[in-house]
Amino acid sequence: MKARRHERVRDKTARGATYVFRLFVAGNESNSSQARGNLARLCEEHLKGHFEIETVNVLRDAATAYKYNVLLTPTLILIKPPPKVTVVGNLSDNQQVLAALGLTGNGR
Amino acid sequence: MSVPKPPSHESKIKGKEAEAFIHALRTHQVDAIVGDRHIMVVRLKQAEENLKNSRDQVRALATRLQSIRENERVVIARDIHDELGQKLASLELGLSWLAQVTPKQQPLQEKIGSLSALVTTLIQSVQRISDELRPGVLEELGLVKTLKSEAREFKEHTGIPCTFETNMGKAKFDRLGSVAIFRIAQGALTNIARHANASRAMIALMKRNNDLILTVNDNGKGIAKKRVLSANSLGIIGMRERALALDGTLTLRGSTGKGTTLTVRIPLSRVLH
Repeated sequence: MKARRHERVRDKTARGATYVFRLFVAGNESNSSQARGNLARLCEEHLKGHFEIETVNVLRDAATAYKYNVLLTPTLILIKPPPKVTVVGNLSDNQQVLAALGLTGNGR
Repeated sequence: MSVPKPPSHESKIKGKEAEAFIHALRTHQVDAIVGDRHIMVVRLKQAEENLKNSRDQVRALATRLQSIRENERVVIARDIHDELGQKLASLELGLSWLAQVTPKQQPLQEKIGSLSALVTTLIQSVQRISDELRPGVLEELGLVKTLKSEAREFKEHTGIPCTFETNMGKAKFDRLGSVAIFRIAQGALTNIARHANASRAMIALMKRNNDLILTVNDNGKGIAKKRVLSANSLGIIGMRERALALDGTLTLRGSTGKGTTLTVRIPLSRVLH
């Protein structure tokens, strides 16, 4: 079995609750690239210093996709803080994504 | 390291999750489907673009073919009219002259009379064929009056009463659009005369919202579905190509006892000046 290949980005200045995301993508396919960019922008704008993104390329690491019951890419899973949230798609609808993640109106 | 088992998809997708998946698929926001054995990369947006390009190419080809066909018809109509028409007119004049110079030769007069009648019929035939190939009346009177006239002529030729309705009396059609609509109506009437065994027919040319709707209907035996879809139904294929060339659609519905209805829907912007 191939080793898991995760791209881990941790903001070292994080304080307080850190949002941990796992983003499942299919290589550099169009929607996956968009999802990466949209998530990075969203985190910078709303969670500056309090986020961690782990990107899983399902084309290289299907096992993790199975483990998290991911059926489509791109899929974003908010691992922490609870509750667990899953968002499917390229995350282009900013308001909808923020609402799904519970980030609307909390000052972050 | 143990590999997790693939998820059993059937039992996993429910409720809001299923809705989210459907939304992502519908809005082309999906790159891959994680299957039990394979991960399938899907490029829906690209596939749709490819399909659109193919359709555009087919449409452009259909338009080009129709244009070539119409131009050929014009050339053939002109040749028939000029060559045959003029020679037949000369023949008619010659026969008339013969009749004048041989007034007392009864058998010859009779022969000249029957030949003259034949030439007159031939001239009418040439005129009709020429008109069918290039409907001059279409250019002179416009589409609406031409269709009205076509309905009247249909009754005269076949004995089947044919009505014409429209709410587009004042519309100005462009040449390509009016030729296409006229040819489709003409083709539909030909099919009624040949195959429908009908006792009445109807043509309607209506404006509805942003579309032009041409309907040709009869009360005959009804076209069979397999005939509508048959590759041998060249007349229907030709009519559909004409509609397609104008970004339109053509549907044919038939049922026993209720006859056949041909409906063509074309965006008004493609047929009006």
